[in-house]
Amino acid sequence: MTFRIRFFLVCMIVLVMFLLHNSFFLWNLDGYVPLLFGFMPFAYSYYVGYAILAVLAMKLISDLAWPDPPEEITSQFGDKESSKQ
Amino acid sequence: MINLVGIGLLVIYFFILIAIGFYGGRIARKTREDYFMAGRGLGSIAVFMALFASNITAFTIIGHAGFAYETGYGAYGYVIGWSIFITPFTYYLVGYRSWLLGKRYGFATQPQVFGGIFKSKLVSLLFLVFLLYYTLPYLVVSIIGGGLAFTTVTEGMVPYWLSALVIIGISLVYTIPAGLRGTVWTDIFQGTLFLVVAVMLLSAVARALGGFSEITADIVRDNPAMLQRGLSEELAPINWFSYSFINSIAVIVFPQIYTRILAARSSLNLKQVSMYYPLALAVIFGVSTLMGVWGSVAVPGLEGQEADNIVPMLIHQFLSPTWMVLGLVVVLAIVKSSIDSQLLAVSHLVTVDFLPRFKRLSSMQAVFWGRILLVIFAGIAFYVALIQPGAILSIAGFAFSGFSVMLPVMIGALYWPRANKYGATAALIVPAVMLHLWYLDVLPRWTTFGFMPVFPSFVLAILVLIVVSYLTPAPPPEQREKTFGLFERVFQ
Repeated sequence: MTFRIRFFLVCMIVLVMFLLHNSFFLWNLDGYVPLLFGFMPFAYSYYVGYAILAVLAMKLISDLAWPDPPEEITSQFGDKESSKQ
Repeated sequence: MINLVGIGLLVIYFFILIAIGFYGGRIARKTREDYFMAGRGLGSIAVFMALFASNITAFTIIGHAGFAYETGYGAYGYVIGWSIFITPFTYYLVGYRSWLLGKRYGFATQPQVFGGIFKSKLVSLLFLVFLLYYTLPYLVVSIIGGGLAFTTVTEGMVPYWLSALVIIGISLVYTIPAGLRGTVWTDIFQGTLFLVVAVMLLSAVARALGGFSEITADIVRDNPAMLQRGLSEELAPINWFSYSFINSIAVIVFPQIYTRILAARSSLNLKQVSMYYPLALAVIFGVSTLMGVWGSVAVPGLEGQEADNIVPMLIHQFLSPTWMVLGLVVVLAIVKSSIDSQLLAVSHLVTVDFLPRFKRLSSMQAVFWGRILLVIFAGIAFYVALIQPGAILSIAGFAFSGFSVMLPVMIGALYWPRANKYGATAALIVPAVMLHLWYLDVLPRWTTFGFMPVFPSFVLAILVLIVVSYLTPAPPPEQREKTFGLFERVFQ
């Protein structure tokens, strides 16, 4: 898979997370199911779940499109700095 | 009233901060890179706590809890929901590419990175001016919030001016000698402290109010509107959507956050930080949301800015004096960890991006001037905090909006080779001017089509960047190669 396609998938993940945050159609559940399991307010627990999903999303993004740089790229400035000091 | 145990805890807390500053100052090398960037050697825990502690301000405990008091559980999603994901995502989207450029070319600030990409002194200057302009009010907000909380918890024994002075003074004590290393070490200490103590405080308040289920049942019975987002005018979908463009995407633009990302040792550090960041945000805002909502039934009837004091009030009314001091330590830790990083960031910006326009500074002279500027900016911020302009939330909202509308230029610079200095210049100025016209009520509010001003300004920034870049000459190939040639070698 090329980086372009992998980055496209990353954009899709972002879009899904954005839609899940702006899911106004789910707001009715605040009234229908005010307390999840009888004690957890729905409007609150939704974002507890969202936080766990965000961790998974960042893990997926990191695996998909976050390559580590070749060493020669990150070492060049460091070498120059240390030679100055 | 604060008892002896409480005074002892405060003394230990301050002593640890001062000791960290003293030790950091002893081991720090007197070079620009070491003082302002900790030698670009921050590991995962250091970067994580530095970003987290710097990001969390007085607003989290003071403003957000007050907002939750008024609007209910929906405040959680409104203020921090989108941030939980998008803030760490911007550490990848903008942070990682900037970090690569920093490692490769030695850039340390936004004026250097984006002035360097566009090869433009004007772009660099605009970044400098806007970042200072928006960071200083944000710094003042932190001091006001911390000062008010300190005064409230001590029941006025420590007057507001003295509270503000203590907060700034202690921050300077460890920031001046140790620079970024000192603030990062204290961030690790203070960030851990405020996370742990905040959760302990929450469970103590819950116990005092009869337990989690009992309080929730009280809310369902006495104030059911707190459970339904659809019933709050402030949480109207158009506001909810607009707010996605204020709080969450502004964070990567904060100079204190951006610089800390550039100071990370490796790519792995940034990945780990991005992955676990959502949990830390969710926990600390989760605590302040619950405190605010619980406060609405435990201490009903507060209005406006009164509600901002709900956390100190809950502690004062329902817990022992020792808890009050622990609450104060949480507020101080939160406030000071953001104040020190903001102070260092503005001092860093002026030292490396403004003074060299007039005089070439050696590495040691830069450290000297950085320290002088820390004191000058602290003095200015203290004075403005005494005047207290406007309400906490609106000042923070305006500064956040200002930062947010700079993001399109940052993304454009890192992802779009056709973006040029003309487009970037226009896309920095035009949305900032529009934002002011809307916030100062020069333009009627209907011109935002019901959105908060930040959203049309953000869209405008994108459009201006694209249109002006296309209408003006493309950047020369060798200039593009410097940035995008590097990225092509990494992102394959």
